[in-house]
Amino acid sequence: MTFNRPIFKKILLCACLATSLGTFAAEHTVNTKYGNVKVNDDVKRIVTLSEDALDSAIALGFKPLAAVATRGGDSVAEYIQERVEGISIVGTSRQNNLEAIAAQRPDLILASASLSKDQYSILSKIAPTIVPNSPGMVADAWITLAQVYADALNKTEEMNVILADIEKRASNLKDKIATKLPEAERSATLARWMPQGPVVMSSQIFSTDMLASVGFEINDAGVIKEGRPHSSPLSLENLSKVDSDWLFLATLNTEGKDALDAAKTSPSFSRLNVVKNDHVVTVNGQLWTSAAGPLAAHAILDNIQTVIDTKIK
Amino acid sequence: MINHSLSMPDTPLDASTPDGYRLISIGQYAHILIEKQAIIRNTWLLILLFCASVITLGSGTMAISPKEVVAVLFGQGNTMSQFIVQDIRFPRLMAAIYTGAAFSLAGCLMQTMARNRLATPGIIGIDNAAMAFAVSSVVGMGISLAPSFMALAGAATATALAFGLAGGSGTRGYRFIVAGIGIGAIAGSVTQLLLSQVSIDVANSAYPWTVGSLSARDPFMVNVLGIGIAICVIGCLLFSTQFALLPFSDQVITGLGANIKHIRIIALILCITLTGLAVAVAGPVGLVALVGPEIARVLSRYRGIPLISSALTGALVMMLSDLFGRTVLSPIELPVGIVTAVVGGPYLIWILVRRSSRSSL
Amino acid sequence: MLSWFIKTPAQRPLFYVLVSALLVLALCCLLSLLFGAGGLTPQASLQTLLGNGTADDEFTVFHLRSTRTLIGLFVGLTLGIAGALMQAVARNPLAEPGLLGVSAGSSFAVAMALVMGASTATLTVGIAQLGALIGCICVLGAARMQGQHNDPIRLVLAGAALSSLLLAMTSLILLFDQRAADEIRFWVTGSVAGRDTNTLMSVLPSMLVAVACILYSAKPLASLALGERVAIGLGHKPRRIRGVIIVAVALLVGGATAIAGPVAFIGLVVPFAARALVGPDIRRTLWLCLPLGPIIVITADIISRLVAQPAEMPLGVLTAIVGAPVLLLIVRSRRLPTL
Repeated sequence: MTFNRPIFKKILLCACLATSLGTFAAEHTVNTKYGNVKVNDDVKRIVTLSEDALDSAIALGFKPLAAVATRGGDSVAEYIQERVEGISIVGTSRQNNLEAIAAQRPDLILASASLSKDQYSILSKIAPTIVPNSPGMVADAWITLAQVYADALNKTEEMNVILADIEKRASNLKDKIATKLPEAERSATLARWMPQGPVVMSSQIFSTDMLASVGFEINDAGVIKEGRPHSSPLSLENLSKVDSDWLFLATLNTEGKDALDAAKTSPSFSRLNVVKNDHVVTVNGQLWTSAAGPLAAHAILDNIQTVIDTKIK
Repeated sequence: MINHSLSMPDTPLDASTPDGYRLISIGQYAHILIEKQAIIRNTWLLILLFCASVITLGSGTMAISPKEVVAVLFGQGNTMSQFIVQDIRFPRLMAAIYTGAAFSLAGCLMQTMARNRLATPGIIGIDNAAMAFAVSSVVGMGISLAPSFMALAGAATATALAFGLAGGSGTRGYRFIVAGIGIGAIAGSVTQLLLSQVSIDVANSAYPWTVGSLSARDPFMVNVLGIGIAICVIGCLLFSTQFALLPFSDQVITGLGANIKHIRIIALILCITLTGLAVAVAGPVGLVALVGPEIARVLSRYRGIPLISSALTGALVMMLSDLFGRTVLSPIELPVGIVTAVVGGPYLIWILVRRSSRSSL
Repeated sequence: MLSWFIKTPAQRPLFYVLVSALLVLALCCLLSLLFGAGGLTPQASLQTLLGNGTADDEFTVFHLRSTRTLIGLFVGLTLGIAGALMQAVARNPLAEPGLLGVSAGSSFAVAMALVMGASTATLTVGIAQLGALIGCICVLGAARMQGQHNDPIRLVLAGAALSSLLLAMTSLILLFDQRAADEIRFWVTGSVAGRDTNTLMSVLPSMLVAVACILYSAKPLASLALGERVAIGLGHKPRRIRGVIIVAVALLVGGATAIAGPVAFIGLVVPFAARALVGPDIRRTLWLCLPLGPIIVITADIISRLVAQPAEMPLGVLTAIVGAPVLLLIVRSRRLPTL
C-alpha cells in the first residue's frame, strides 16, 4: 500500500491546472499566516470557512459555493442568509469536513485565522488557502481581515470603497449621537448574562469596535487583560463596574426579550442604574458576538440607528 | 482461564512446549510462546481489517468504488479520487488503525493487570491530562507548542504525578489507578475552567481535543505513534509469558518464582506509552480500550490474554466508528470519540448492570 | 479538658465535637460575609453588618454574600450527607457521588433539558434529580456486582467508566445545540454564586422527602454496616433500606447539582473527615457531616472569590484540587479498608 509520490504530485499539479482551466490569467501573491500564497486574479469557485470571510466575499459581490454553519445554527448566519440561498454547508465552526470541501472543487479557500496547521496542509492541496495572520485582539482587527480577504479576491480597491462607506455612515451616526447625547452619557458595555454573573465582552471585538466608531465609550470593566483575548465572567459583586450608561445585552437565542426577562429576575441585575433607566438593548448574539465583516457592520449600524431613533430622546 | 501448564518464565522453555503452542526463541534469552490458534485468529482479523480499510477508503462524502480505490492504491484513478483517498482518507485511516490498536492494547494490559474489565487507561487521568494540556495550547495560554505535543507532555505529566503520588504500582496497580482518577478529576475541571474563560470561538477550536477526533491529525505524531506501537507490540510479545501470569493471585505468581512487581511495572509502562502516544494523536477516545479487548476475549474464548487480537479488534472498532461518524450525518462529521462512546456505552451499561459478571478475566 | 482529643475517635463524645464544628461553621459563615471579589473591604463589610453601610454595601453583604453563603450551606449539607450515605450503602470509603457518576448523570439530564429549550437560569430541580437517580441506579448495579469479595476499587472503576460515558453522551447532545453548549460550559464548573433563594425554595420539598428517607433508614443502615446477615437477623430488610437510601442520595445530589452545578469530591472529603473525628459509626458520622459539609464548601467558596479577582474561580475546580489529594490519602493511609 505504498504510494508513488512523484507521480501523484504530477497528477495533482495537473489537477490544479485543470481547475483553473481556460483562464491562464495573471496571479497575485497574498501574504498569509502560513507563507505567501499565489492566487489566480480571477477566481470563480470560493469556499469560505469563517464568518468574516463569507461576509467579505458577499460584500464584494461574490457568491461562495460553500461555507461553515454559524454558531448555534445549521446554516449561515441569519443576517446574511437570503443573499446566499442554496449555499452548501461543509462543516461547523468546530470541525470542517475536508472531503466536502474538496468535492466543491474550489479555486480559492478563505479560512479563519485560527485554522490549524494540520488542516491547512491538507486544504492547501485542494486550492490556494488564505489563512490571515491573526491581528490579535486589537481595535479594528476585522478591517485587517476584510482587507486580506479582499486582497485574495483581487478586489482591494472595492473593499476600500466599502470600508470608507461604512466609516462615513458611522461618522454620520456619531454626529447624530453627539447632538442627542451629552458626552458624559456615552459609556456602553457589551455583555452576555449568565446566572453566575455577566460575561463582559472585550472592548476590542468587532461589535464593540462598531460601537466605538459611532461615539460610544466602551467600558469592559478592565477585566480584559492585555493580550488575554477573552470574555470573562465577572463576579456579581463587581457589577457596578459595568453599570455604564448603556448596556448591550447579547443573546444566543433569537428571543432577546426572554433573555432580558431572565436576567431581570436576578436582583443584582435589576438594581443596576442602566436597567432602571431602561437603557438595556438586547442584540442578536449571532450578529454581535460571532459575525464580522462589512455586511455585519452595516447590520450592526442598523441596530444602533434603531437605538438612536427609539431610545434616545 | 488458562488451563495449560505454563513454564516458569525464568527457566529456559526448551524443555516442553505446551500443546497448541509454538516456541520462538531469539538468542538465549528471548522466548516467545505463540498459541497456534491465535495465529489463525489474528490472520483472519488482519484480512478483515484490510477489507474494512478498502471500504473505509471508498466511503465518505464522495463515494468511490472499491475498484477505483484499488486503482488509486496502485497509482491509477482520476485526480479527485487520488486526492481524496491519498491525502484525506488514507492518513485518517492510518490514524484510526494506530490509535485504535494502541488504546485497545493498552486497555487489555491494564484490565489484565487490575483483574478488572472496567480498568481502562482512559479513566486513570492520562487522557484528561492530555486534554487539559492540548486545550491550554489551543486557547493560547501563552504556550506556543502544537497541541499534539502538549497532549504528549500532559500524558507524561499525569503519569509521573500518579506514579509519584501512588509510590509505585501498588497491589494490582490499584493505588496507581486511584491516583490517576484523582489527577484526571483535577485535569478535567481545569479543562472546564479553561473553556469557560475563553470566547466561544476559541472554545470551539479546542473542541476536537475535548472529545477525540481523527480529522486532520498531526502526521508527525501519527508516525511516532506507529513506531511506538511497533516497539510496544514487540515488548508485549517478549513478555507475553510473564503477562500470562497476571490473572493469578499474587501468591501463585510469587510461588512460580516470578517477580510480580517487575511484571506490573513493565505492563504499566507499555500501557502508558501506548495511551500517551494515542491520546497525543486523537485526543481522548477511551472507550475503545473497553470494547476492543472484550471482543478479542470473546474471540479467543477467554483463553489466555489476547494482546495482539486486542490491538487488531481495537483498530477495527476505531476504523468503523470513524467511518460511521464521517458518513451518518454527512456533510457534518461526528467526532470519533462521540461515536465510540455511543457504541461502547450500551455495552458498558450491560457490564454494569449484569448481576454476576466474570469477576476475574 | 482536652482529654477527649487523646481518646480514639470512636470514644470521643459526639456532643463536644459537634459543638466545636458548629462554632467553626459559624466562623466560616461570618468570614464568607466579610470577604468577596468586589471592592468592599472586610472592615467595611463589618461596619455594614453593624448597620453603618451604604445601600450598595448592604446589597453586597446582605444580598449577594448572604445568599451565596446560604447556598453554600445547603450544597455542603446535601453533598456531605449524600457522600456519607453512599459510602455506608456501598460499604466503600471511596463511594462519592461525583466519582460514581451520579453528578455526571445529573449533568447529562441538565444538558438534555437545555437542548429541549430550558435555560440555566430557569432550570428545574426535578430534571437534575431524575438524572442523579439514573446515575445512582447504574452504580447500584455495580455495587451489587461486587458480591462476596468486597472490592472498593471496582465500584470506583465502574463509576469512572460511567462518568466518562455520560460525559461523552453529554457532548454528543451538545454537538447539535450550540446555545446549550455555550450555557453549559459555565454551569459544569460548579458555582454557588448568583443563585437566588427561590431556587432553594423549590428544592426544599424534595429535601424534606430525603430527610424522611434518612430518618427511616439511619438505624438499619448502621446495622447493615455489620454485614447483611446481621441486619437481616436484627429484623431489617437490606434491599429496601438500600433502595430508600439510593432515592435519598439521588434527591440530595440532584438538588445540590441543580443549584450549584456539579461540585466534585465534597461527598468524599466530608465523611472522611467525619470518620477521622468520631469514628466509623454511621449514626455518629452522619451528625458530624451536617456542619462539616458546609464548612468545606463555604471555605472553598471564600477562596474561590479571592484568587481570581475581579472574576471568580469556579468552585468545582477548587474542590477537585482539594479533593483529589484526600482521595490519595484514603488509598494510601488505610490500604483500602472496607466499611
